[in-house]
Amino acid sequence: MSPDFLSGIRFTDLTWAGAGPFGTKVFSDFGAEVLKIESMSRPDPVRRGGPFKDGVAGTNRSGYFASRNTGKRSISLDLKNPEGREIALRLIAQSDVVSNNFGPGAMERLGLTYDEVRAVKPDIIYLSMPMYGEDGPLSTLLGVGMTIAAVTGLMWMTGYGRGEKPLGPGTHYPDHAANPYHAAFAVLAALRYRRHTGRGMKIDLSQVESTANFVGASILEASVHDREPEHTGNRSRRDAPHNVFRCAGEDAWCAIAVESDTEWLALAATIGRQDLAARPELRRAAGRLAATEELEAAVTAWTRAHGAVEAGTILQNASVPAARVSSARDLVEEDTQLAARGYWQTLEHPEMGPSLFTAPPFTIDGERVELRRPPLFGEHTQEVLTGLLGMSDAEIAELAERKILA
Amino acid sequence: MTPGFRPYTGIRVLDLTHNLARYATRLFADLGAEVIRVEPPGGLPDRARDTADVPGGPETFAFHNASKQSVVLELGGNEGRAAFADLVRGAQVVFLERGGPLGANDIPWLRDLNRTATITHVSPYGLGGPMQDAPASDLTLQSAGGIAWMTGRGDEPPLRLPGGQSAMVVSVYAAVATAVCLFDAETRGRGHILDVSAQEAIAHSLQNAIQVWDLERRISHRAGEGTRDASENIYECRDGHVFLASPPTTGVSWKGLLGWMAEVGHPSLAPFSEPQWLDRKYRSKPEARAAFKPLFEAFTRNFTRQELVENALKRRIVMAPVSRVHDVLGDPQLAHRQYFVRLGEGGPRFPGAPYKMSEPVWGVSPPPALGQHDAPAARG
Repeated sequence: MSPDFLSGIRFTDLTWAGAGPFGTKVFSDFGAEVLKIESMSRPDPVRRGGPFKDGVAGTNRSGYFASRNTGKRSISLDLKNPEGREIALRLIAQSDVVSNNFGPGAMERLGLTYDEVRAVKPDIIYLSMPMYGEDGPLSTLLGVGMTIAAVTGLMWMTGYGRGEKPLGPGTHYPDHAANPYHAAFAVLAALRYRRHTGRGMKIDLSQVESTANFVGASILEASVHDREPEHTGNRSRRDAPHNVFRCAGEDAWCAIAVESDTEWLALAATIGRQDLAARPELRRAAGRLAATEELEAAVTAWTRAHGAVEAGTILQNASVPAARVSSARDLVEEDTQLAARGYWQTLEHPEMGPSLFTAPPFTIDGERVELRRPPLFGEHTQEVLTGLLGMSDAEIAELAERKILA
Repeated sequence: MTPGFRPYTGIRVLDLTHNLARYATRLFADLGAEVIRVEPPGGLPDRARDTADVPGGPETFAFHNASKQSVVLELGGNEGRAAFADLVRGAQVVFLERGGPLGANDIPWLRDLNRTATITHVSPYGLGGPMQDAPASDLTLQSAGGIAWMTGRGDEPPLRLPGGQSAMVVSVYAAVATAVCLFDAETRGRGHILDVSAQEAIAHSLQNAIQVWDLERRISHRAGEGTRDASENIYECRDGHVFLASPPTTGVSWKGLLGWMAEVGHPSLAPFSEPQWLDRKYRSKPEARAAFKPLFEAFTRNFTRQELVENALKRRIVMAPVSRVHDVLGDPQLAHRQYFVRLGEGGPRFPGAPYKMSEPVWGVSPPPALGQHDAPAARG
């Protein structure tokens, strides 16, 4: 389906890089008109960052950009130019939401604060998402997704356990779920609030505060007991064996997670260790936890003789939670579940050709949300300035001549 | 203005989630929805799982179920089912999760009871496909979704993220999709059925790994090869660890760093001034990471976290302390912004709102006891 659920909602979207655009993409995918304001005077870093089609860099060739901006319209506009700002305000006056993920002070320098925007659109929904919030002693600290992981405890807790040093997530994890989706949820809530009260609002989303909720249960544990929660890596605090096990083949791994007495007995039977199943002290989680090393060695002896997919399948069929540890290639090329559910979408793109996209991770009424390709840089400038602002071709040409639309 | 109106005032969510999707319904509850956990007489499965017998159990339960209500209904019996049907007729959202009292087979019945409700079903692998009924857990979902592959040391097993992240990820996707459907229901009177897969939600949050494979045929690996700049790492300092990200593409940060080393006359400046450190390709190689770490750590070991952060602020370097979880409670920035709230009067400090709204609409209250809202008067 090409959903029209949010048709009639318009964004003037100043977000860039990862977290901001991933959040506003929800709206364009559901039929809202998201006007992405971009300028080559300060290009979106993900247009400059890879991967690129065939490894060849280019403004319209970044897969990172493509995956964050489906269905949006790109307006090239230099906001640092006073006339550029005036045009932005005219777009905002006809928008429901204005969104940015700049650091503190940037919107002041552009002359686009909440108050300045509200002067042209009193019921605007104004989304800001700086890293650490707009005020306070560390508000100007520069950051990326991993910095947010660092100050929220997420990085500290990501490790193999055993009292080792922290490793942290392998990605800028907070950028890819917590912050874009908290932001999208907040804007949707604000839209309903406006519908019933007539009032807009400002949403000040500190990405640190947002991400802290993703480790909220651990923070609460530290708060209640006034101590550092134990982190166990792939192991569980409740039961064993519960880990990632090496399988036959190069860099091949299977996750196996026993979480009940029944699953333990099924696992022991499957790996041919009736002797372990028969031991009474292993019939309860506490006994298995005490014997973690021994049980992991027994499981490894079995997994090393099986491929990762095979091991996962055998154990799933025996009702033991298990799964191959998949790489991105495995997901795309070999995952039968994702394929069966129609998760992958290939979109034609004028410069990238056919490119692969992940569908939104759900079906609605049995159908997938069909994505629309991301915009080329400035692709919709003329159309929007003409259609929405009623500018003439001559006016637009003159602005372009003076590099205001670049 | 409507006094006391909150974003989800007037919305009733019947909540049968018990693991993966509990945070989704909590997001609605904190913004004014009436979120009712509909529990069998023994409680939904999390009441037996997240107990004081397990470290962190009660805190996990409280975090995921704050602000909600609880009623007890035996959905196996006619009386309970009839009472539930009445609730469904007056609800705008019904949230189901695999393994709960109602499943995918009950969706047609729910749809018949209420044509305009949004019915959201959350499960490990989604409905349909060979894995629909496969057993799953947080560890296996992070593995099947691709995020575990990307974390850990190169010569050791892939590593999951901490704190039950599979539930956090699928919950925010489920909450947003439900909110979009609710918006459509209130605009056009259309009800929807959402089928949300945790595996797909995780695979949707892999940074650019899918595109790296599709466009350049490279596999983003936990060793960081080809994906992370040599500087992006954790370094020891005098009293803990700091994280640094200083690729030469963010020119200010890299120049600021070298300038600081020059000021204090640190011997690592000379090797870092070699031309290969301006080469993006070199800096993404494992040997560059290996070379970077001792050079930079020789510098950071002279400073405390506080000193490093002060300089990061002053010199515009992307560097931050690696906080322990307990440290987060004392974070000066979070304190300045009055981030933490109390869970109930005199209760423990509790994570505050994920977003600050200029209207006073967010609030959190303690999780419900089983059946606390059985009497209709206790609700609303």
